[in-house]
Amino acid sequence: MSPQETIVTEWSPVERALFRFAFIFFLILILPINADFFKQLFSINLLNLHFGQLFELVRYTPDFTGNPTDWVNAVVVILIALIGTLVWTIRDKEVKEYSQLYYWLRVVVRYRLAAALLVFAFIKLYPLQSPEPSISNLNTAYGDFSAWKLFSLTLGVVPGYQSFLGGIELLAAVLLLFRRTTTLATLIIIPFTGNVFFSNLAYEGGEAYYSFYLVLLTGFLLLYDLKRLYSLIAEEKPTFPNQLQPAYPARWMKPTQWLLKGIFYFIFIFWYGLEAKAAYQNDPYQYPDSAGLTNSAGIYNVKTFKRNNETLPYSAEDPARWKDVVFEKWATISIRSNRPVVIDSSNIEHIYQLSSQRNYEYLGSGGRHYYSYDVNETEGKIQLTNRNKNYQGEELELSFSRPDSTTIILQGLDENRDSLYVILEKTDKKYLLEEVKKTGRRGALKL
Amino acid sequence: MSGIQLNTANEALGKDVHKSPTYPVQSDWKPWQLVLFRIAFVFFILMSVPNSIEWYKNAFSIDWTNLHYRDPYDIARFGSGLDWFGNKIFGSTLEGYAIWVITLLFSTGVGLIWTAAEKLTKKETSNYDRLNYWLRVIVRYRAGIGIIGFGFTKLLPTQMPYPSLGLLNTDFGDFTLQKIYWLSIGIVPWYQVFAGVVEIVAGLLLFFRKTTTLGSILLFGALGDIVYVNFAYDGGVHVYSSYFVLLAAFLLVQDTPRIFNLLVREKFTLPARYYYPALTQTWQKITRYGVKSTIIGVFLILFFYLSLTNLLFDPYKQPAVKGATELRGNYNVTEFRINNETIPYSPEDTIRWSRATFENWSSLTFKVNKPTPLDLSNGGGSPMRDIDRTFELTGTGGGQRVFYYQADTVNQVLYLQDKFKARNPGDRGKEQSVEDTHPVDWIPEKSLANIGDETYKIDPRASSTRRIREYANAPKTEKRNRMILQYQSINNGDKVILTGIDENKNSLYIVLDRFKKDYTLSQSTIKAGKYD
Repeated sequence: MSPQETIVTEWSPVERALFRFAFIFFLILILPINADFFKQLFSINLLNLHFGQLFELVRYTPDFTGNPTDWVNAVVVILIALIGTLVWTIRDKEVKEYSQLYYWLRVVVRYRLAAALLVFAFIKLYPLQSPEPSISNLNTAYGDFSAWKLFSLTLGVVPGYQSFLGGIELLAAVLLLFRRTTTLATLIIIPFTGNVFFSNLAYEGGEAYYSFYLVLLTGFLLLYDLKRLYSLIAEEKPTFPNQLQPAYPARWMKPTQWLLKGIFYFIFIFWYGLEAKAAYQNDPYQYPDSAGLTNSAGIYNVKTFKRNNETLPYSAEDPARWKDVVFEKWATISIRSNRPVVIDSSNIEHIYQLSSQRNYEYLGSGGRHYYSYDVNETEGKIQLTNRNKNYQGEELELSFSRPDSTTIILQGLDENRDSLYVILEKTDKKYLLEEVKKTGRRGALKL
Repeated sequence: MSGIQLNTANEALGKDVHKSPTYPVQSDWKPWQLVLFRIAFVFFILMSVPNSIEWYKNAFSIDWTNLHYRDPYDIARFGSGLDWFGNKIFGSTLEGYAIWVITLLFSTGVGLIWTAAEKLTKKETSNYDRLNYWLRVIVRYRAGIGIIGFGFTKLLPTQMPYPSLGLLNTDFGDFTLQKIYWLSIGIVPWYQVFAGVVEIVAGLLLFFRKTTTLGSILLFGALGDIVYVNFAYDGGVHVYSSYFVLLAAFLLVQDTPRIFNLLVREKFTLPARYYYPALTQTWQKITRYGVKSTIIGVFLILFFYLSLTNLLFDPYKQPAVKGATELRGNYNVTEFRINNETIPYSPEDTIRWSRATFENWSSLTFKVNKPTPLDLSNGGGSPMRDIDRTFELTGTGGGQRVFYYQADTVNQVLYLQDKFKARNPGDRGKEQSVEDTHPVDWIPEKSLANIGDETYKIDPRASSTRRIREYANAPKTEKRNRMILQYQSINNGDKVILTGIDENKNSLYIVLDRFKKDYTLSQSTIKAGKYD
């Protein structure tokens, strides 16, 4: 006699009510209703697509308060779902079970979750999300960073590990796309994304709300097989598998399903993946792609510093006297001095296409002031603009000369219209981070 | 076969599955399963027991009346695998895994001999259900105890200390990868607590049959990640982490095919037919509950208490002795004279200190723009003496110097010793045999009396025999740089004047002015150690 679980023909009233709630609750959480979302969607120019646009769209969570990550939004959704459940319960007294509807609800949740994971997976698989530290980052004191920035820098120095994490996320996402492997996927996602949630709380990151949202979706998916797993593993009883097959009442349904699946795979895996790879190879989105002054990248000691013709000697305390200057590979200069920095503490992941918006290098970073610059190499002019939104309008108009390959002389007007004369000398700085990779930690090193 | 009672699901069957088929109890193993089991049995027994005499010596020397957290920890943490044949294979340690390979080869050999012996004596067993059960018990408890030992150093976060002021002042590029990773956990003590909870829960789940699979999945995932992290950051603990992944994988072997069958193949699945000893007799019941409660009692309640006193009074990686009360915080080096020659402030100068820091504990750190030999080790282990607690120094460059000091507060003199200890390669663990350039009594008797015995300078609740022993056995001479500086503190340490001699017998005159540094990084909400 072969085991045949009789397809349940009746759910208990409690089960029916819980399902109705879950159905409304998750559909509101997933199906876009924000005006902002549609504005973003329709502003996409198909001829100038950037994968960052998809990334931003996928972050969608319903927003009733103007602040998408306000927990009040969750309360609103719960209230709407409760009211909806009440109305539905009254209307549908005769309906005995919702097995098929449950199946399709799970499909919606699975694909929404997979989309969320995929857009993050590829920017880790190709280590873009946490790039290698910039020269300025390497020359900033540990305590001058916010916890979140340190988390990102710590991941950034090990691109291999970042790829590994991306690989796991990718695997979990792919497993979600198939009914039979969905539960296995949830067993990966709950610890992985759960960890993201706790990390965000601990490191004061801004993704706690969104990662909790994803864990919620995952938990819901796990419920389906939870009883079965408990029965088999903990109670050690013979256990029936899932036997519900989706029904396709109309003929157009199955082909449509294949079409939709195909579009999903194409956009979220094929196209997005290729774009991420190209970005990693050509234009990592976290750092600006503006061309810096030729062959200037490095850290410079401020040998001479004159303000209004008065020479200021080296000083540990003087807020005006520059301590050192970094020229990045791109058109950013950062200046370390004793002048306090009100940091930009944005901590939500974004993918920026526009170079001028790429603020990663100075987010959560104190100790240095960051300036983007416009340089005219033939005329020897360089114009600095403070990148930090807390110092808007701060500009330095300087001219520069380079007597040799390791010296840069800057003169002109600073942000207070004081005249400056600065001689910068490139330091041949050896970073322990790099040197130890060559000799390993077992040998003796002097640095 | 008395006393053996298969855990039938008959009662369960009666409840849920109305017209279930009868299914055969798997009592006959296939030949390849029998051989594989024999090998696995030898292998996992060897991997679950301590393999060095040191462990046994240490375990029997523990003074259970005056414990330190490290005492039960050292019972939980031990290396395993057969090291009778050395730890290299074809001349390579295989990143430390060679010993596993050797153990496996040895086990295979023994397993095959065992198989042959059974065949020859015609006493072939048909199944190892019973032995398998006890093997799994051993592995479960070994894994559970081991991971809980680790978990407590995170639950009461001492494994990764919050950075000292000296470390906060060091540039990001002046650390090793390993240091960066360790610091990244140290800065979020509540995350460390969370990680500790996960590890302890995973361990606890392993102590009970029903939750063993869940515990193994958790252990496999968490420690699998840690293995990768250790390779990525050159953390050095990859072998011990992989060890738990291996044990977890072994425990999952039985349930994985069934989970796969149920979820992926969507087939009706029978549970594994495990043997469970009935243990109905009173002495069996008492033994079982006695052993279980002792283990849980020792490794949970006692460990928790010891880890707590450790965190509060003697965090094992951070110096525990409080520093001079006026000498605290970040200082600018306003004036610096060496051999009566003043050197103006310059971050470039290779002699002049560019900034100095007095920590809450017995350390002075300062920065000089001069290449200095570095200690690239993990700064781990659990040394009892402050001078040996090197987390402020290890993996850190940038010209940072760290000096341990003893303060004669009566005469206002600091006796400083470099925390960096020059090591000859191959000297690991051996007593320093290098000639010391300072006389043994470089600290005069009167000063020593004023300084007091450091052994007892921590809260008595954290006192332990381990600490007493280690201080008593401390080497009398070590090759370290030394300085003797008199200090004059003005306005409760806002201004400090240091005069004395440095490690090269130069005379120093240094004026330090304290300044308040506001770090972007949030302060820790869990304070380790007592320094008031």
